[in-house]
Amino acid sequence: MSFLSKIAVMSLTLSLLTAQAAFAGATLDRVNQTKVLHDVLVNDYPPFGFIDDNNQLAGFDVDVAKAVAEKLGVKLTLTAPGWETIVGGKWQGRWDVCICSMTPNTERAKVLDFPAPYYSSPAVLVVNKDEKNIHSAADLSNKKVGVGIGSSYENYLNKTLVIPGAKPIVFPFSSVQIVPTDESVAFQNLALGAGTRLDAVVSDLATAKARIAKSNSFRIAAELYAEPNWVATDKGDAQWNKKVADTISALRADGTLAKISQHWFGEDITRAQQ
Amino acid sequence: MSLPQLLTSDEEADTLPGQTPFGQSRAGFHLRTGLTWAVLLTLLIGLFSRMGLDFGLIQQKLPFMLGLRLSPDGFIQGAALTLVITVISMLFCTLLGILTAAGRLSSSGIAFGCATFYVSLFRGTPLLVQVLIIYLALPQAGIVLGAFSSGIIALSLNYGAYLAETIRSGVIGVPRGQKEAAMALGLPGRVILTHVIAPQALRIIVPPVSSLFISMLKDSSLVSLMGLWELNFLAQSYGRSTYHYMEMLATAAVIYWIMSMALELLQGRLERHYGQGYDQQHPQR
Repeated sequence: MSFLSKIAVMSLTLSLLTAQAAFAGATLDRVNQTKVLHDVLVNDYPPFGFIDDNNQLAGFDVDVAKAVAEKLGVKLTLTAPGWETIVGGKWQGRWDVCICSMTPNTERAKVLDFPAPYYSSPAVLVVNKDEKNIHSAADLSNKKVGVGIGSSYENYLNKTLVIPGAKPIVFPFSSVQIVPTDESVAFQNLALGAGTRLDAVVSDLATAKARIAKSNSFRIAAELYAEPNWVATDKGDAQWNKKVADTISALRADGTLAKISQHWFGEDITRAQQ
Repeated sequence: MSLPQLLTSDEEADTLPGQTPFGQSRAGFHLRTGLTWAVLLTLLIGLFSRMGLDFGLIQQKLPFMLGLRLSPDGFIQGAALTLVITVISMLFCTLLGILTAAGRLSSSGIAFGCATFYVSLFRGTPLLVQVLIIYLALPQAGIVLGAFSSGIIALSLNYGAYLAETIRSGVIGVPRGQKEAAMALGLPGRVILTHVIAPQALRIIVPPVSSLFISMLKDSSLVSLMGLWELNFLAQSYGRSTYHYMEMLATAAVIYWIMSMALELLQGRLERHYGQGYDQQHPQR
């Protein structure tokens, strides 16, 4: 093949591929044929996804993924790339599903599909234990607030967070000085003292609880809004999405999700909302 | 201390103890260097011991971080994976660097154009961006690469560009008279390249190339973005999973440093090898 025709073929492929990310049934066919489910998750988000003492990926999200793979009768592989490589969509067949504690918002819904909610855990306002002035979101005006970079909490503080299908979120603060960093760094900054580098951190209730159990530097000032976490898939395969949704429903119906939740949190956070 | 002595110690400051021969009182110089290292290292350790690190945790995670255990999918991990990625990337980027330097020195407009374009593009954009583009954008052109190969390609392309310029600096650093003298002797072009230009150029480029490779060793941490279980990935994951971030970061830093020292030792050997002809002219080296 000549050089020029190669370029022609490549640009043609390029235009075809950018036209549609994943065509209908492609993911479903692949999972059925290879008998492998490629799940993508986060490696540093305890207790949902982390690396345990035996050097294995573990956590609530991992156990849910295992249950899904078992229900589908396929083998499970886990990958933990950077969050930015997941949320951008266009997985191109690298991964089949993301059971990775993702909250849908309008931007993410443009590049990813969200077939099924699998747990709900509220967003919380965490402050240093010595904090005197911050009691609710209304006290956040002009404060320095840390959030995980690219997280839905960042959208919340920007007042742009819209969770599709959920009731509108209220933003009872005026301008907030948002400090997006790595979430671990945000908590380390907050531990330095009330207002030293940060006045508060917006995080998830379950992860905040796990952190507070290991360190007495923080306390939860307030719950902010309900945050549903959905299973995400690459855009465009309706048949696969239905399969995923059915599987999650079945796992909820037979009590598997509740059991996993009891194991990790001592309560059931997986009940269907609305 | 006399001025020549000061100059000598200054020049040797970035090398390791035990590889600083030459000079008038060799043993005394060695002793002073060793003691200086011991004092500085004690200060550094003293600083870290004041941070209240959990050494039990470090001990527990160390075998994993060094790569003595395999990752859950049976692949190598930790420092071992970092080393493999770096060594493979070194090979590819050396090839790329030599080719590009040749293009940059070539009289062909097309070769010169390709070489300068490549160097400008890959030296002028951040490695992090290159890693993400290769991993995320190439699939949209139908080329879906694994994390391992994407990482090696990104590192090789980025460092190949820097290396090309380093190699070129070595080649143009060899005095013109050397080539002319060799030609006057009637040596064939290939022999001039391999026996006259190359050895002298290598002497010049060994220190900067070593710096590049040490830098690459650490920049290989950027491939953790793609979910490769290399040293930085493990340090970040373990740190966040156990809420003992500083312990794991410090451990990774020490492991990176030790690996860099190995490269520094290699650099010292290579410098001595290619510097042989110069020792008599510049006895203080």
